[in-house]
Amino acid sequence: MVDSKQKWKAWLYLSPAIVLLLVFTVWPIFNTVRMAFLENYSGLKAAAGMQFNFGIGNFLKVIEYKRFVQCLKNTVLLCVLTVPISTLLALLIAVALNSIKFLQKGLQTIFFLPYVTNSIAIGMVFAAMFNIVGSFYGTENELIVTAGIINNVIEFFGGEHINWINYGSTYEANMFVMVVYIVWNALPFKILVLLGGLQSINKQYYDAAKVDGTPRRRVFTHITVPLLSPMLAYVIITGFIGGFKEYTSIVGIFGENMGPPNDAGRLNTMVGFIYDALETNSQGRASAAALILFAIILAVTMINNQVSKKRIHY
Amino acid sequence: MKNRIVATLLAIMLMTVLAACSSTPAAQNNDADANQTAKALNYDGSAVEVVFYNTMGANLSAVLETYIAEFNKLYPNITVTSTNVGNYDDCRDQISTEITVGNQPNIAYCYPDHVALYNLAGAVATLDDMIASDTVITRADGTTEILGLTDEQVADFIEGYYNEGKEFGDGKMYTMPLSKSTEVLYYNKTFFDANGLTVPTTWDELEAVCAKIKEIDPESIPLGYDSESNWFITMCEQYNSGYTSATGDHYLFDNEQNHAFIKKFNEWYNKGYLTTQKLYGAYTSGLFTTLEGVKSYMSIGSSAGATYQRPAATADGSYPFEVGIATIPQVDAANAKVISQGPSLCIFNKANEQEVIASWLFVKFLTTNVNFQAEFGMASGYVPVIKSVTANPVYADFIAKADGGNYVSALAAKVCLEQKDAYYTSPAFNGSSEARDQVGALLSKCLVLTGDDVDAQIATAFADAVAECEYAN
Amino acid sequence: MSEKNTMQERNMTQVSARQKIVHGASRTLTYAFLIAMAVIVLFPFYWMLISSVKSLDEYRLNVPTFWPRQLLLSNYVDAFNTASLGRLFYNTMLVGVVSTILSLIITVLSAFAFARLEFKGRDTMFGLLLATMMIPGELFTITNYSTVTQLGWMNTYTVLIVPFLVSVFYIFLLRQNFMQIPNELYLAAKVDGTSDWKYLWKIMVPLALPTLISITILKMMGAWNSYIWPRLVANDEAHRMITNGLRNAFTDTTGDVNYPVQMAAVALVSAPLFLVFVFLRKYIMAGVSRSGIKG
Repeated sequence: MVDSKQKWKAWLYLSPAIVLLLVFTVWPIFNTVRMAFLENYSGLKAAAGMQFNFGIGNFLKVIEYKRFVQCLKNTVLLCVLTVPISTLLALLIAVALNSIKFLQKGLQTIFFLPYVTNSIAIGMVFAAMFNIVGSFYGTENELIVTAGIINNVIEFFGGEHINWINYGSTYEANMFVMVVYIVWNALPFKILVLLGGLQSINKQYYDAAKVDGTPRRRVFTHITVPLLSPMLAYVIITGFIGGFKEYTSIVGIFGENMGPPNDAGRLNTMVGFIYDALETNSQGRASAAALILFAIILAVTMINNQVSKKRIHY
Repeated sequence: MKNRIVATLLAIMLMTVLAACSSTPAAQNNDADANQTAKALNYDGSAVEVVFYNTMGANLSAVLETYIAEFNKLYPNITVTSTNVGNYDDCRDQISTEITVGNQPNIAYCYPDHVALYNLAGAVATLDDMIASDTVITRADGTTEILGLTDEQVADFIEGYYNEGKEFGDGKMYTMPLSKSTEVLYYNKTFFDANGLTVPTTWDELEAVCAKIKEIDPESIPLGYDSESNWFITMCEQYNSGYTSATGDHYLFDNEQNHAFIKKFNEWYNKGYLTTQKLYGAYTSGLFTTLEGVKSYMSIGSSAGATYQRPAATADGSYPFEVGIATIPQVDAANAKVISQGPSLCIFNKANEQEVIASWLFVKFLTTNVNFQAEFGMASGYVPVIKSVTANPVYADFIAKADGGNYVSALAAKVCLEQKDAYYTSPAFNGSSEARDQVGALLSKCLVLTGDDVDAQIATAFADAVAECEYAN
Repeated sequence: MSEKNTMQERNMTQVSARQKIVHGASRTLTYAFLIAMAVIVLFPFYWMLISSVKSLDEYRLNVPTFWPRQLLLSNYVDAFNTASLGRLFYNTMLVGVVSTILSLIITVLSAFAFARLEFKGRDTMFGLLLATMMIPGELFTITNYSTVTQLGWMNTYTVLIVPFLVSVFYIFLLRQNFMQIPNELYLAAKVDGTSDWKYLWKIMVPLALPTLISITILKMMGAWNSYIWPRLVANDEAHRMITNGLRNAFTDTTGDVNYPVQMAAVALVSAPLFLVFVFLRKYIMAGVSRSGIKG
């Protein structure tokens, strides 16, 4: 009696969530898979009553496309560059923060600040910092006014100004700006988690090391890092997952052009590619690209789990 | 646990795939020939609601609302609801999704590319039968009109604008022009007069003028061209060298003639003669209106943006220099070609034929009503699409005041009306907007090329652009 | 013996002196490193603020000024008007507040069912829910875009609120929290004849307050930062959200970009989150360290 009543009640409690999940989560999963395997599926063509062949045509078309390869390359490159850099920097900062008392709280707050920002808004600040204002390239009377602070600093130290993000800038320069921005953006979360981990490490380990007279570097590599490995694994995996979904930080710096003016889409990513496909009403290709992205994230997660099993010390 | 979840998830996905094999996409009733029923088309006076999607801001909406009221004096049972849906791209994205679920509006602001997209679903009504219909309709005020357009009304449209509605490869009419803009050449009249320069009418003359300006002001970049895409497409049209085709092989622009003009502009660019919006990083009107530093003395931009091409007024209300406006340079001045842009209106098929006819009556009202055309034109900076608008006393007065200062938009409108035989539109098909983007990117990419192998680099850029276009199909 | 002792003592003091020097040096290095990093982290904020009060001419100087010559606060007025920030703030707040409240209710109910109520398939269902967290959001967007169109929700507040009300992650967080509340409390309440409903709101919710506050903050930050979905489904003037408005207002410009005004707009948009952060630092940091997601 009580049981059946409780059962009934449980579903009642869950009903709002279930209804919304069915409509906005479960149905999209089914539908995306369906569209991905209907070749050249387009909602508009379907509305006209057109039939689509079942097959992997969308996947082939997407993979063969030069621009998709570029998007994949950008995404992977950004991940591979930013995750290690930001993790290492965050680790150093967290360890340093953990070793001090005076100013610790204040500095910790400062390092968290980038988190409470809007990535498009602050992207615009970075763009302004790296920008060149009033530049006319290639003409005989090339005139460059460097108003971006970064170039001012470079010139102050006697360097040549660099065209970071403007017309005619190089891919390497663009990537450099993106890496700096993404690392800046990724630091707060990683520092927070790692510092939390450090603070929970039992002081006894360090005391023991002190008694043994173990050098600091050895303490770091033999005690700190192993004991911190669950936290490190956590920030690395979330870093990779976030990295594969990179999109808005690029919009912040380059606008929806996703690249310098002369090469729109140069820095486009997987997510950007999916949205572009939606614009031409190619839901089939968009779905295929979304499934490829999912497969990549799944693979990265699994690899990470395997590695973690072997390497993480609890 | 985790592995089992993943496995379950994959299994579910696989099942969906299999289910997908047998599923048929829901076909909706969108019979493109719905109008071609045996009985004559007629508005039966029934109450219908017409939804009109547009991108009008507050001031234009106000004009529209006035004329909806006017329209309702004639047709009180037709309720027109105007909705702002963002910008042109938002309008396209929203409608193309709405078509798939069958709740598209009745009328929408459109560019030809959008219509080509909607027509993947056959969603846009053909207007030919309604235009040809001579069914007489009695309006609420007792007057009558025929459902279609009279010969005079058709002849009143600026031909290039009207023909845009037929550029879809099947010869049928899908859109009506609402208000238009084009590209015009803005020049610094004060500077031209002071230095005895003549306004170029051909590209050869333009080159000579640029050379002279560089002698007078070596610091300057004589010409700013806003739209790379328009420039490329217009050159193809002026040379008659092939850009795209609505039927058969779509992308025709990779040809010798087009390589040649790109090469020529590349040389001009490297001599410091010109810049474009993408190269400059903003609308080139900024260079044109500036009074210090690097300046330009000519700017090719939208006729609807005339007020932006005017320098800021000084304290006493006068302008530092006078703006002149002319037809853009041509390959052959005797056979001028200028692009036609700006919103048209398309009507969507609906199960209820009366909705389509009511929509048509409203579209017809907006596009042929002299007062609306005049007022809308003055409020928006766009050009009316009918010639008789000059008969409207307010508009005639507006045009008469045209000058290079306070009435610069009137001057732009005047030039547009004078070059009425020069308008062209390019073919529209699924993929035409991709082609437009690609040729724009192609032009800006090629302008900056330098070195010994410019020809080869240009050839590669063309081939890449065609490849990109073909993926989109 | 005593000599030996003093020797040792001297040695000890020498060692500790050396240690002190080493220690002091490494301490200095640590601080130097941290402060250098803090300066780098803070610099964009500083640059945003001082640029936002410069005149365009001063901003363009070849040798930049690190302190503005004159404070041009009119940039803020210009920014507010250029981007019509008033409307954007209003929309964002409305969507943020309404979606947070509704989301909290749904989360509490679901977490309670998963944590306290017994029913068949509970754990399987929860496992499946967790599995969906791995799927990238873009995969849902493709279909959701046409679903909301079908529902006629385009360009409404509804479309900005409803599709994201259920967050599996929040349910997970709260369920964990509910599970920590001892079962005895529940059983005691049952004996007293307290209904589940009353027990949930009177006892469990207050106990889980910190988690609920974290969820509130994350949800509000999400509304503040959302970009892609609002751009797709509600980009009309009446419903546009802050991020989209900001990006739009400064992409469609005529003439040169007025960076100082743009920076003023960015500062205005960033300010509310900063204020919230100042007051709720503890909760935000606690919530974020558990989430791993931004927004």
